[in-house]
Amino acid sequence: GLRTLQLGSCVVTTDLQEIQSVFSELRHSVQAKDDITDIRILRRTESLQDTKPKGRCCLLRRLLRLYMERVFNNYPAPDHQTLRKISRLANSLLTIKKDLRLCHANKKCHCGKEAMEKYNQILRQFEQLEPQAAVVKALGELDILLQWMEET
Amino acid sequence: DGVAILPAPSNLSVHSANMKHLLVWSPVALPGETVYYSVQYQGEYESLYRSHVWIPSSLCSLTERPQCDVSDDITATVPYNLRVRATLGSRTSAWSTLKQPFNRNSTVLTPPVVAISKDGFHLVIELEDLGPHFEFLVAYWRREPGAKEHLKVLRNEGVPVHLATMEPGAAYCVKAQTFVKAIQRHSAFSQPECVEVRGEALPL
Repeated sequence: GLRTLQLGSCVVTTDLQEIQSVFSELRHSVQAKDDITDIRILRRTESLQDTKPKGRCCLLRRLLRLYMERVFNNYPAPDHQTLRKISRLANSLLTIKKDLRLCHANKKCHCGKEAMEKYNQILRQFEQLEPQAAVVKALGELDILLQWMEET
Repeated sequence: DGVAILPAPSNLSVHSANMKHLLVWSPVALPGETVYYSVQYQGEYESLYRSHVWIPSSLCSLTERPQCDVSDDITATVPYNLRVRATLGSRTSAWSTLKQPFNRNSTVLTPPVVAISKDGFHLVIELEDLGPHFEFLVAYWRREPGAKEHLKVLRNEGVPVHLATMEPGAAYCVKAQTFVKAIQRHSAFSQPECVEVRGEALPL
């Protein structure tokens, strides 16, 4: 059902459960393509929980932008069914991103030093990998991001 | 692509009620021929980040009828572009695209069909099965001046639900409305339906 994400003064309502259930249908096939087992892009030290509440909206907004611009559109969907599921994920997360943009417009999504440092660290983790491997790993780690959102 | 020598389908529109979204169009009329249609969609994500990508509808690749249930394709509350083309043998038409993107939050929500019954002194309600998106807000009250209205939220498991235990000699009324979380909207209430319980009112 619907969940309320408390991101500092930015409050967003979303159906995380539905997004998680769509991802669970993809998880196995995506994670099976990830051969790199000693690197994590989304690490606990850069999690939403480890970020002060006032920086969480900014961090989540940057992460969703990363997924929108560099992950969902670069994942090589092997068939139409996978393409539909990725579309479902991307469009559902887009509704959250649009809500975060409203928070930003209402000055509730400030990007402070901490949030930017954590995002840049995640970006370094992402960019140290070969592009295709980074896309596969990042998509496979979407459940981590959803878990972070669940725990806010 | 085959040479686009077939006329394209026209007059695309979406009829949407209770989260069932039906794309309809005017068929391509070729007497004596069976024309097939294919539907594709793109959500706001695709139109923003990968506008060249169109996704084949899950139900309508080479369908004969000039309509397509796109409910399973429209899975987020964002605008969706939809397009159709005709196919006859190796010949295909140009794509016809819906003029305005469709957003499921525009679906028409109708008051639910409600059936109430008595099982002895038990007031029982049965609601129509509208699918997983729907919850029902049920209001029931004893029909007498100043009666208090009781509310109950039900998820429809397609089985009769016990609402209340009635007192003999009293009449009880029920009405319901649907609520769809995904679009944060509810329908109007249904018309109240009442039942009466025979028998003497019990002495206080």
